[in-house]
Amino acid sequence: MTNKFKKASIMTITALIGAGALSASVTMVPAFAKSHRAAPVVKLQETGSTLLYPLFQLWVPAYKNVAPNVQITPSGTGSGTGIQQATDGTVQIGASDAYMNNHLIQQNPGMLNIPLAISAQQIMYNLPGVSKNVHLKLTGNILAQIYTGKIRYWNDPQIAKINKGVKLPHAAIVPIHRTDGSGDTFLFTTLLTDTNQAWANSISYNTSVSWPSVSGALGANGNNGVVQTAEQTKYSVAYVGISWLDKGLQGGLGEAMIQNRAGKFLLPNNATISAAANAQVGKTPKNERVSLIYGPGSNSYPIINYEYAIVNEKQSSPTVAAAVKNMLLWAISPTGGNKSTFMTKVHFLPLPKSIAPLSKAQINKIHG
Amino acid sequence: MNPQMNSSISDVVLPSMEINSQRRRLKSIALWGVSMASLLLVVLIVFDILFSVVSRGVPGLNWSVFTTQTSGIAGGLQNAILGTLMLIVISMVISAPLGILGGIYIALFADSRLAALVRFLSEVLAGVPSIVIGYFGYMVLVLQFKMGFSALAGSLSLAIITLPYIVRTTDASFRQIPSQYFEGAIALGLTPLMALRTVLMRLALPGVLTGLLLALSIALGETAPLIFTAGWSNFNPNLQLVKNPVAYLTYVVWTYLNEPYKAAHQLAYTAALLLVIIVLILHVLVRMLQRSSTKQA
Amino acid sequence: MRSARIRSRIFKVAAGVSAVSPLFVLLFLAIVLINDAWPAFRFQGFSFYSGITWNMGNMYANNTIIHNGVQGSPGATFGILPFIVGTLASSLIAIIIAVPISLLSAFALVYKVPPSLVKWISPIVELLAGIPSVVYGLWGILVLAPAIANLIGPWLSHLGHFIPYLAGPVGSGFGLLTSGIVLAVMIIPIITATSRDLLMQVPHLPIEGARALGMTSFESVRHVAMPLARRGIIGAVILGWGRALGETMAVLMVSGNAMNYLPANLYSPISTMASTIASLLDSAMTDYTMLSIHALALIAVTLLLISMITNLFARLLVQVGRRDIGTEV
Repeated sequence: MTNKFKKASIMTITALIGAGALSASVTMVPAFAKSHRAAPVVKLQETGSTLLYPLFQLWVPAYKNVAPNVQITPSGTGSGTGIQQATDGTVQIGASDAYMNNHLIQQNPGMLNIPLAISAQQIMYNLPGVSKNVHLKLTGNILAQIYTGKIRYWNDPQIAKINKGVKLPHAAIVPIHRTDGSGDTFLFTTLLTDTNQAWANSISYNTSVSWPSVSGALGANGNNGVVQTAEQTKYSVAYVGISWLDKGLQGGLGEAMIQNRAGKFLLPNNATISAAANAQVGKTPKNERVSLIYGPGSNSYPIINYEYAIVNEKQSSPTVAAAVKNMLLWAISPTGGNKSTFMTKVHFLPLPKSIAPLSKAQINKIHG
Repeated sequence: MNPQMNSSISDVVLPSMEINSQRRRLKSIALWGVSMASLLLVVLIVFDILFSVVSRGVPGLNWSVFTTQTSGIAGGLQNAILGTLMLIVISMVISAPLGILGGIYIALFADSRLAALVRFLSEVLAGVPSIVIGYFGYMVLVLQFKMGFSALAGSLSLAIITLPYIVRTTDASFRQIPSQYFEGAIALGLTPLMALRTVLMRLALPGVLTGLLLALSIALGETAPLIFTAGWSNFNPNLQLVKNPVAYLTYVVWTYLNEPYKAAHQLAYTAALLLVIIVLILHVLVRMLQRSSTKQA
Repeated sequence: MRSARIRSRIFKVAAGVSAVSPLFVLLFLAIVLINDAWPAFRFQGFSFYSGITWNMGNMYANNTIIHNGVQGSPGATFGILPFIVGTLASSLIAIIIAVPISLLSAFALVYKVPPSLVKWISPIVELLAGIPSVVYGLWGILVLAPAIANLIGPWLSHLGHFIPYLAGPVGSGFGLLTSGIVLAVMIIPIITATSRDLLMQVPHLPIEGARALGMTSFESVRHVAMPLARRGIIGAVILGWGRALGETMAVLMVSGNAMNYLPANLYSPISTMASTIASLLDSAMTDYTMLSIHALALIAVTLLLISMITNLFARLLVQVGRRDIGTEV
């Protein structure tokens, strides 16, 4: 009895391992067979920004039809990982919400920072008693004071002054921030740096910053965590990536109008985001490493950014270089990856017409 | 039968017996009630965990989960299932021989001080937090040894995690065998290897297999050491051991839960359900093995 | 016969090499980690353990600073006291919840539940040990955190008038208490299974003797059986504690990931050392000076040391505990 059972269990384990090996080889065989017939398969790896990850996930199946011999594997690990892996040569394409800092560029002069699309960020709040039809007005300066604990209550005179007619409660504000390293934190802290001198001097901007300790402040992991925390926390305020806008609104959060450099309060939408992008075309240098936060233009939404592909201009072989080049050219093309069907799903905007050539010029530097 | 037993009884401080024995009996009954309630609570928690995973995972469960690869924000999980299998198989190929041989050695051949040292260090290694292994894997295997995000880097990290468990269970199951068996076989002129193959292995096998299955279920459930070593791939694994990332199920739970789309969340729930189902199967196997081994002893 | 001897010799050597493999792995691990961590320790010194501010510095600044001969980004300072407190507090809560529940469950399993039922219940409890930590995290996010925020938290905070740390705002449900409960559920199977096994090995004789002397059945278990298994049980508790200290993903998903402040009450968001390594590794990679990476490695070394010490304790106690009962397993 026991012997029989032992045999059975050995068989189970062998079967498990065997099944693994078999299924692996089964999936292998067609891959090999294919590679002998058609053009050689080129494998590209993309890793990095979790904000860009959904877009890459949408691109990959579509690009399969454009270039069947190129297999792209995207993964969401984080912008920092994307930059490091691309620099290291482990992956061909790194994805990042933030451009590489000067030190890293000096260390790795061959690294290109290529904008692929435009993203934005909105400020959301949980304010019971304030109608859903009202969009609270906020400024970067006020947000900086909230996140440093200088402004403690929703009915603070500074907030009340720009929100006449809104009945603000005397309730403590709960600022929510991202705790994992993220491009969203990079964008938000850049806005605070641009609008509040004290913030610029003490905390500055990065994908992860040293948040001032404010009693009651909350941290959350990932945009989903931020939205869920905000939904569950009355009187909270949070910065959320634009792709999570619908989710936040469905969860009952309010969307704030943010003051731009010209003094106007705006919501992020196609018109205000593209206005902001177009207004900064002249400001974008050839290497495209630039912040678009708090830019000029009366109708410009203040929190937008380029979503970057981080690529080494010298690839391992001409074949790989060509594959990377073609993929990226397709990605920024208005009839390819920048098509509105892809963009609207993640609430991104295509590159402005006058910026696309700059990205194109950078992409054309890639060689084997 | 045990010399210490007598002293243990006299050590016991008896509560004074004069106090109302009725009250003490009631207290005893109440405490047993609390005990049963605790046990019930634990069982209910298990069912709640299972229920919350099953109820959310089942709607996403259909054949295409097994036959298609992850694509975009949805698709199937074939790549993750095969990738998980590949990572586990390779990690077991590395850690099982090392662990079993090592366990046999410290149980039968090593002098007691070396055995104690290895046992202690295995215990420490088992206690190393998995994110530390992940950090190590990323810094050393992925970057230093230039493996990139790959099956090998991921499997090696898993092997480090499972190795001490296999050593420990193998060691324990060989030590359970009375030493006369081994000594007798040697006295009969068998070499240690022959004694092992003919007599001991048969007796220790259920325990060793249990250890392997436990190691398997640990490897299956790990996330932290894989994020920065195995990477992720939308494609089924290939035979390339380095520079090619592989998919695995826990990544889907961790990452897709954080996407803004319902379809992505469904995929995460389904992946969690698959993980729980596999854990359940392994658990049942372990149970059956343990039962067969206790029957033997 | 001769070839058999040679084969046996080869086998023994191979087995010997395998036996020391955990030793080499651990040594390699320790060398790599200490080597990586050393610059951070030189930079920060012991204030690494007493500071409450974690700041990787301004990586986009054009200058770098040098402190104690180590280069870092301007503003860089690394204090992990909140992470240490978060780790200890969450694991302590886990122990406080898990130990009584596990012990009482083990009592019930050994002395009250009929064997035909134990056959079913024991595997159910032990199933908890095999559930992946991301699944615990999922359960924490979907079930436990809302329950704490809306149900358990408000109820507990009423007790706060009498008991410190229970009062105060309950918050979002992501925090110390939620982490502690998730960790408790993860270590309950470890403590329950070990206690159950140890209690089953306790001979019947002393228990029956105690009963004959007039003890109630619970008293005989509490005052006779448990003391015999006590040290083994403490060992299992420490083993569980070690697991709680190092848990990463589940805590990352439910802890609220606080930074730069110490928890104010039971519901405060926290971070643990392990979860901090996981959540900050990505940002640290863009630190050109590598100092942030070194600082994370120093957290890893600290964690390794703590887990080594707890394991040493657990091992000693489990060993002594077995000797108490008189069975060497």
